[in-house]
Amino acid sequence: MATTVVKGLNEAGARIGSMKFEKLVRDAAAHSNDLTLESFGQHNIGIRLQREDGLTITVKGPSGQRLGCMGQPGTRIICEGATSDDVGYLNIGAEISVLGDATNGACNAMANGKVFIGGSIGARGLTMTKWNPDYDRPELWVLGSTGDSFAEFNCGGTAVICGINPKNSTNVLGYRPCVGMVGGLIYFRGKIDDSYSKTNAKLSQPDDQQWQWLMENLPGYLDNIRRPDLLETLSKRDEWNILIAITPQERALMFSGPMAMAEFRNEHWVKALGGDPLRDLAPGLDRSPIGTIVTGDLRRKQPYWANAESAAPCTYYCPVHIPTVDRLRLIREGKLDEAYQMLLHYTPLPASVCGAVCPNLCMDNCSRRGVDTAIDVQVLGQAVGTATPPPFAEPLGKKVAIIGGGPAGMNVAWQLALAGIESHIFEQDDMIGGKLAQVIPWERLSQAIWDEEVKRFLNTPYISVSLKTEMTRDKFSQLQKDFDYVVVAVGTHVPRRIAFPGNEKVLAALDFLKKAKSDKPLPVGKQVVVIGAGNVGCDVACEAYRLGADKVTLIDIQKPLAFGKEKEAAEALGATFRWPVTTNEVTDEGLITADGDLIPAQTVIISIGDVPALSFLPESVETMKVGGAAWISTDKAHLTSDAQVLAIGDVERPGLATHALGAGKTAAEFIIAKIKGLEWQPFAKPLIPQKALTITHYVPDEVVATEQNQADRCLSCASCRDCHLCETICPTGAISRKELHPVTQTGFQVALDVDYEYVSDDSKCIACGFCADTCPCGIWNMNPF
Amino acid sequence: MVPVRSVSITPSSLAPIDFPWIIEHKEERCTLCGQCTAVCPKGAIVLAHMRKRVPKLDVFQKKRGNDYRTFTGIRQETDPAKLCIGCGMCSMVCPNDAITPHPGTNENRTVFFNNRKGEPLKRGGRRNNPGATLLDQIMFDRISMLTDPALDAGRHEFTVTTSLGRVLSPEDFLDRTINGGWIPPTREIFPFIIGSMSFGALSPNMWLGLLQGVAYCNEVLGIPVVMCTGEGGCPPWILRSPYLKYIILQIASGYFGWDEIIRAIPEMQCQPAAIEIKYGQGAKPGDGGLLMWYKVSKLIARLRGVPEGVDLPSPPVHQTLYSIEESVMKMIQTLSTAFDHKVPVYPKISASTSAKSVLNNLVRNPYAAGLMIDGIDGGTGAAYNVSMEATGHPIASCVRDCYLDLAAQGKQNEIPIFAAGGIGKNGNVAQNGMAMVMLGASGVHIGKYIMQAVAGCLGNEMNRCNVCNLGICPKGITSQNPKLYRRLDPDMVAERVAETFMSINTEIKKIMAPLGRSQSLPVGMSDAIGIGNQAAADRLKIKYVC
Repeated sequence: MATTVVKGLNEAGARIGSMKFEKLVRDAAAHSNDLTLESFGQHNIGIRLQREDGLTITVKGPSGQRLGCMGQPGTRIICEGATSDDVGYLNIGAEISVLGDATNGACNAMANGKVFIGGSIGARGLTMTKWNPDYDRPELWVLGSTGDSFAEFNCGGTAVICGINPKNSTNVLGYRPCVGMVGGLIYFRGKIDDSYSKTNAKLSQPDDQQWQWLMENLPGYLDNIRRPDLLETLSKRDEWNILIAITPQERALMFSGPMAMAEFRNEHWVKALGGDPLRDLAPGLDRSPIGTIVTGDLRRKQPYWANAESAAPCTYYCPVHIPTVDRLRLIREGKLDEAYQMLLHYTPLPASVCGAVCPNLCMDNCSRRGVDTAIDVQVLGQAVGTATPPPFAEPLGKKVAIIGGGPAGMNVAWQLALAGIESHIFEQDDMIGGKLAQVIPWERLSQAIWDEEVKRFLNTPYISVSLKTEMTRDKFSQLQKDFDYVVVAVGTHVPRRIAFPGNEKVLAALDFLKKAKSDKPLPVGKQVVVIGAGNVGCDVACEAYRLGADKVTLIDIQKPLAFGKEKEAAEALGATFRWPVTTNEVTDEGLITADGDLIPAQTVIISIGDVPALSFLPESVETMKVGGAAWISTDKAHLTSDAQVLAIGDVERPGLATHALGAGKTAAEFIIAKIKGLEWQPFAKPLIPQKALTITHYVPDEVVATEQNQADRCLSCASCRDCHLCETICPTGAISRKELHPVTQTGFQVALDVDYEYVSDDSKCIACGFCADTCPCGIWNMNPF
Repeated sequence: MVPVRSVSITPSSLAPIDFPWIIEHKEERCTLCGQCTAVCPKGAIVLAHMRKRVPKLDVFQKKRGNDYRTFTGIRQETDPAKLCIGCGMCSMVCPNDAITPHPGTNENRTVFFNNRKGEPLKRGGRRNNPGATLLDQIMFDRISMLTDPALDAGRHEFTVTTSLGRVLSPEDFLDRTINGGWIPPTREIFPFIIGSMSFGALSPNMWLGLLQGVAYCNEVLGIPVVMCTGEGGCPPWILRSPYLKYIILQIASGYFGWDEIIRAIPEMQCQPAAIEIKYGQGAKPGDGGLLMWYKVSKLIARLRGVPEGVDLPSPPVHQTLYSIEESVMKMIQTLSTAFDHKVPVYPKISASTSAKSVLNNLVRNPYAAGLMIDGIDGGTGAAYNVSMEATGHPIASCVRDCYLDLAAQGKQNEIPIFAAGGIGKNGNVAQNGMAMVMLGASGVHIGKYIMQAVAGCLGNEMNRCNVCNLGICPKGITSQNPKLYRRLDPDMVAERVAETFMSINTEIKKIMAPLGRSQSLPVGMSDAIGIGNQAAADRLKIKYVC
């Protein structure tokens, strides 16, 4: 077929409009596959033109915008000069050659086909260029350079920018190419300004496959733009670079900044600062990152196995600080003898006091009450009534005078004897035991038990007793010369009285009780009034009933202080309490109250306490007046103002028999320490908090009055029971049990020695605190660290 | 465990439903690995051993009694000092999704008891006022469709910086240029500024991570972000580094760290971005810093020039300043002179009905480089709860009033107003900030948002965590204990700073592009915003839209 020429100017030389020109071209293409267009700036030349046998369009005149727009496969367009904007716009397959320059927007949204530019292009070339994988990639070849914003949002097009006579020799790709580019490849030759979008494209050299493609296709391009002479110039591989789209997968792995932070830190930050910016303020400070769950020194807490560092409530509240938990452990371990010896190491009167008269402060505070009921300490005390005492130490050649053989004086002597120190008790009565022996009714303290314990006491080496010895100032000063220490333990044996009319008719409780326990009790009327409704008053009431009274009334000016066993016993016998009652007068008919009431009584007994008799004291021993009587002032060690004289028991302040025993033990420990040249340490263990224990490991159990039952039920507060629960619960296996070799103790102390410990491995422990939360005994503590 | 019968009920005893945060522990999922109790910053959770009684209730059996079964679970402490703060670290470390705190939905009775020893509650964080803020409701409603050049935030180049510093009127500028007068210094900075958080309130890893990120933004990303030191001083090596130019040094009533700053002046390689004189904070107007002894580590003590382990309260006021005139004159002039009048110096005040008085003073002060106003929704590391909750003034109307006042005097382009206080409270940081800009702010300071965005601060407006003041920050952001702050990797903080500002930068463009604006920040462009709230629209003098 011959070439068909379509003219862009009409016969009159006027420009044919784009709409009409397009119709003319279309008509021509229907008949011819080779068109020559003498165009005159018409737009959209070649738009969607196609022939099955192919179509060649040669554009000889000025071309308008969008040359080759929507170009079809098989169509070739050759523009012999320059072209305007948007050449190859939405091209889907045409091959478009432009021998000169092209302006802006070349290949915008092109999906297929090729555009060959023999010069340079303007801004926004290759933008939004597509690639449908069922077809070949669209291609843009540029001999010179591109304008700004090249390849924005390029989605798959291939560009080759040859850099021959570029518009800007320092930058062949223009400013900021590749923004939003998601696919495709740009070959370029020549300098660029490095302003390409680093998050969209990466710079590299063509690999072998890419180079081979270029070399295979380059001759065809050069033929199309009629510059085959440049083949050699453009075939130097080292002059070519490529910008290739970064895939989303690659981008996902990139830090979104163009430089890795580690690189910035090492290459800029550290260099600019010359090192760690805190090196002068905090030399060597380690600020390197750590994990959240840490071991070793990085933990904020640390477990600590505080075995026996706190006191169980029984030990803490007992005035003698008897470690009942240890004793029960010895029983659990079958070491009964050691258990008894241990108790006797604290008191010579376990059966009489722990087992009978003591109100058992230990039991009041027993942790077992949180599970069912307190440990029965009376059972434990009674069991030791006839036990053999622990061995006594070798004599130290020192001696101590003890004035008063009550529980306080007895325990001083007992403790000193255990340590090998001689003591001599000077007792004004005809028996030792003080009020325990003289006053406490046998109903509450069985004579058999008492006698056994006194016998055991008196059989002790290093203790001698002088009975019926009145103390005087002279004798006292002699004692100070003859003995290393003098301990005043005379108790309170002067009844307190009130000077209301008829008070001479009133018996003192102390005298009444002493006589009641003797062979010659005082006679008692049928009606008895006891003034003062404390526990001693209750004892008086009980004895009055025993001695023949029908009705005993206890009166008090305030709410009666009586409690516990004494009160229950008195009430059981029928005693009644009246309060507030103030005594106005006592007559032969009875007691007349301040309100004028008569409480009929043949016997009136006053029980408002006793005070010490201290006339023998030298002036070096200071006393303090309280409630009209003098009491000896002492320090924590029971030392008086005279460094050779100690005072214990009720002479300091009225208390329980157990307080007297405790004071005796403390005073003895002080004396022993002084004699041995050691520093005396008071009992200083803190009470273990209830919260530290985990009592839910125990279930309510049947309570039987046996030692074994008490031992089994004991929670072993503050004393490890070797149950392995910590080892079991520890999630990181940090806790283990370690055998220890027992140290050099003797007797029951051997049994008390704990020959193991639990340890936590710092390299495994994460400080979760489970050991502390689980330990039944409260041994594990989590300490801040 | 406390035995049931020994539990004593006190006036401040709490039941689990009273707790502000309630731990839900799924025993059937728990592996008893101990990680939750190990990580808990408050010691709020423990392994509890519980005992169940199963009575044998068989009618036909003569033998009666009970069986007991013990079981374990993670339970929370009831001691007010150990109450769960809802930080959720337990659930973060739990390998088995067995534990999580939930906000208590009952009335929070702990508020009645958080005044032990007569000391009112102090905490960190922001006003507990959840929900959309006024700024969240502002819409950018002036969209350039075909009416203006279409702008593409992704393709077009934008200038989004703002001017920090006094801008002379053209007459003044020409006059001084010709006659050799003093031209006040200005800085072109990114309009989102990392607000003042001190080295001390923040851990070393956090503070240095922020600065590293800021340096990255400037030097790698080309985003000119600056940060303010707060009043805790600045490490001497930083003062002598090229990074000082990205730092606004704050001076406040405590004057902490200024000895080191003054010592460093002769050796400074560059000038600081600006000097901020703090007179007030939005979160706690009329109150000063409350850095307690447990945050005054050896390092902090050294930096602040004080002994270790002492309380460091900043007084609410500068003791040597007695009036606005004096405050403005003395402080601004001194600080401007200290840096040879080459560094912008501006005051920071709490938003207040009196803000306009301060601003008008500044207008007359030739040395004043701007005004920073901090609103009630601002965050803080430590404040009395009552200050945070109820004292202060919202930022929007305060800045708006000030801006309109300037506009009435024709000075709106001369003295910039910066705004802070709740910008990005609900995460909409760019939207909030640009709303403030269009209401008249030249830029915004963001603090709490930064902690949340770059370091994963767990605090929120449901009073989650908010224990910045106690030094036990589980993320290591506000702790001075290396065992906690080493959890924070400064590189990761820096990376997040970069990511955050890249994102804000893009969002600013996404907001500006539809306005048809690319070359200057739309300060005071209030015709471009609207709000669906008539009262707010009237008050702010912006459009009501619906």
